[in-house]
Amino acid sequence: MFRAILYTQWKWSRFPLLLGVLAGFALPLLSVQRVSSVTGYWQTRTMLASVQAWGILYPILGASLALLVGALAWAADHRGRHVYALSLPVPRWHYALLRFGAGVVLLAAPVMAVWIGGILATATVTIPTGLHAYPTMLAARFALAVFVTYALFFAISAGTVRMAGYVLGALATVLVVEVITNAAGAHVSLLENLLLALVVWPGPLDVLTGRWMLIDV
Amino acid sequence: MSSAIEIRDLHYRAGKAFEIRDLALNVPTGSMYGFLGPNGSGKTTTIRLLLGLLRPRQGIITVLGGSIPREAPRVLARTGYVPELPHLYPSLTVAEALHFHAAFYPTWDWKWADELVLQFQLDRGGLLSRLSKGEMGKLEMLLALAQRPELLVLDEPTDGLDPVVRRDVLTAVLDYVSQQNATVFISSHLVHELERICDWVGVMDRGRLVAELPMHSFKNGIKRLRVLNAPALAGDTPFVVLSRDAANGSAETWVVRGWQPPMSQWFTGVGATLKEVIDLDLEEGFVELLRTFRVPQA
Repeated sequence: MFRAILYTQWKWSRFPLLLGVLAGFALPLLSVQRVSSVTGYWQTRTMLASVQAWGILYPILGASLALLVGALAWAADHRGRHVYALSLPVPRWHYALLRFGAGVVLLAAPVMAVWIGGILATATVTIPTGLHAYPTMLAARFALAVFVTYALFFAISAGTVRMAGYVLGALATVLVVEVITNAAGAHVSLLENLLLALVVWPGPLDVLTGRWMLIDV
Repeated sequence: MSSAIEIRDLHYRAGKAFEIRDLALNVPTGSMYGFLGPNGSGKTTTIRLLLGLLRPRQGIITVLGGSIPREAPRVLARTGYVPELPHLYPSLTVAEALHFHAAFYPTWDWKWADELVLQFQLDRGGLLSRLSKGEMGKLEMLLALAQRPELLVLDEPTDGLDPVVRRDVLTAVLDYVSQQNATVFISSHLVHELERICDWVGVMDRGRLVAELPMHSFKNGIKRLRVLNAPALAGDTPFVVLSRDAANGSAETWVVRGWQPPMSQWFTGVGATLKEVIDLDLEEGFVELLRTFRVPQA
């Protein structure tokens, strides 16, 4: 049963996944291009700045993959108004769990690519004294970011159009309230607080923020 | 007589425009039950309710001995379902759709599935999105049959199909029923199609069951009568008067249900004369039944 679900999800999301695996493998290698020529203090700082700049791409890649795989997990069922899924002889929670599990298994591939790419990248360069390579930690963080955002997008895309309407309606209400209260002279930042609640600890998307360093002190 | 499907006091509402009210339905085990009704009468909604796809507001649904929706997965494992509209994943090929479906049914019969693929002339490598309506209809039927179900629920399975495909699909169903003694619940608005294959009939209109009876009673019991000097009020008739229309002079045309030849005596008793008894086919009977049902009650 799980293999059947896994196969369909692989078929629907194989192109973004393959691109994700390639990008995940290439990112660590590209981020250490300048490491072998580093000698002095300032060059080390420049190199770290370069690794940090490349590091921005890890959460972007992870969130993009999570969004695509999460949305594609339900797209075909949405098109058929879930009639096929509901007519299968499995409880609804079980079916949702199978779809979720299949996405997790598929997303393990780009996570592995980041890990292998990180190990290869750090093995092929001489790291300056005082710095250390963290391929496993980086891959673990990437995995956490991918799976957390995947869980979020999976849950959102599992919802009905009506539910999406409720969410958008709630956001619109917050926006209107903020505009009115600000026009009345009271400075309320509802949307900003909402965003902060998502991306600042203990918000679920906090994992995407901060420094993503393959090589660091 | 045991029931494959039993519905009691079912109530379901979809928005403000449509509701199913006080629905009671009984499908005998081993029967071929034709579920008739015009478009929008509630046939598909009833089918979705009895499969647990929708949740009723109230009422009791029992299918193959299991309570719906609580035991829906167990019941669905023994039920083949062909929906009104194609519902399979269009990006899969025929072979992939077979493998996906088979994974969920422990009773899946690969040998028979392969035979049906040949019989229906389906291309295993063909993408579902590129199948014709007829091919898709045959694939849906194949998936429902190859799981060897005890109950087949077919929602307008031949709607929009050409006569050749329609015959192929219905032949496959009849072959299966003759081998397995399965129960078939088939909805349609194509009355003649059901007339040939069903032994029970239920008629649905505007969310309510108008009639439920054996097919032979339905076919034989509905007559058109030519009556002379008919009484102004029919009173206690031994049959059900579905409609009465004035004809020429003192003649009237009555459409009645539950007719039997000895009932002609009743007309003599009330001073009327029964001139003629005309057999109605199922479609005419169906139309008259709905016409009567839709007349506002005084």
